[in-house]
Amino acid sequence: MSGEQRQLDGNGVAALLEELLGADATGLVRVCAGCGQRHALGAHRAYRGAGWVLRCPGCADVAVVIGVAEERLTLQTRGTFAIPR
Amino acid sequence: MARAAVLGRLIGRLAWRTATVREVVAESEHAVTLVLDVTDWPGHRAGQHVDVRLTADDGYQAERSYSISSAPEADAIAITVERIEDGEVSPYFTDVIRPGDQFELRGPVGGHFTWSVSDGGPILLVGGGSGFAPLMAMLRHRAAQDSDVEVHALVSARTDADALYRDELAALGPAEGLHVAWTFTRGGPPGWTGYTRRVDAAMIAEVGPAPARAPRCFVCGPTPFVEWVTGLLVDAGHDPQHIHAERFGPTGGRA
Repeated sequence: MSGEQRQLDGNGVAALLEELLGADATGLVRVCAGCGQRHALGAHRAYRGAGWVLRCPGCADVAVVIGVAEERLTLQTRGTFAIPR
Repeated sequence: MARAAVLGRLIGRLAWRTATVREVVAESEHAVTLVLDVTDWPGHRAGQHVDVRLTADDGYQAERSYSISSAPEADAIAITVERIEDGEVSPYFTDVIRPGDQFELRGPVGGHFTWSVSDGGPILLVGGGSGFAPLMAMLRHRAAQDSDVEVHALVSARTDADALYRDELAALGPAEGLHVAWTFTRGGPPGWTGYTRRVDAAMIAEVGPAPARAPRCFVCGPTPFVEWVTGLLVDAGHDPQHIHAERFGPTGGRA
């Protein structure tokens, strides 16, 4: 890490999430498969490596894994997302 | 066809656009505000951010997120950038870039960390270092709307020389309902009688609306600052669902 200022929560991944899901997802509430707590995706901890991993702020359970490649993005999720209709 | 329309809107919204620097404003010893003209800017809400992409001559690209510090009502968007000594992007923005220079930008993005006057109050804004940028957008929006929604702001800076927007914050209106407190964690300027310590429980109790009034709380800054302040808010009895946080990465130990 360069120490550069960058967001380290789900808010900072807002653009990628929007690319993947078609709308802003930072306010989406996830019910954690690990601890049962409910947190907005924007409040999840974000870790950058070969892509991004979002983890539950309550128990660090892996919530979302985003792979970033030249030609495509990949998405894996865990837990239950409540999506308003 | 509906799908194509949705995708079209989406791709349009998230397209990389050209930003042209209109003005570079020195904010502090370490930070500048870039005022930007952006082609086909779709407008934003206070608290949102943009992704910025720089491309080197050899094709190497670096992307960063920066909060928008200008009000939605302004005719240009502004981002405030703090120089990180070993940073890859920020020294270019703080030391090199000039009016007329261009780079790529997309957004606005993020809907979780936003506020508008129609959401009402009271609200509490707590910013550490350059983390006050998105909170400043909220206060500028409130001023542009001539709103007297009750806002309590607490700004933490190391010294007066590091303080962002200090003169503007002192002059911002409407004064009715607006309460701004500073803490200078490494000592205030001569004659300073305000806080000179790290944000703590007593400060939160003095500055903020009481938890019983259920204020929405917005906390932004380096990760350790945000973890610390949100912990204080929860301990004080604020509803975790009312606490919105936005974290920045390490700031070279200068937080």
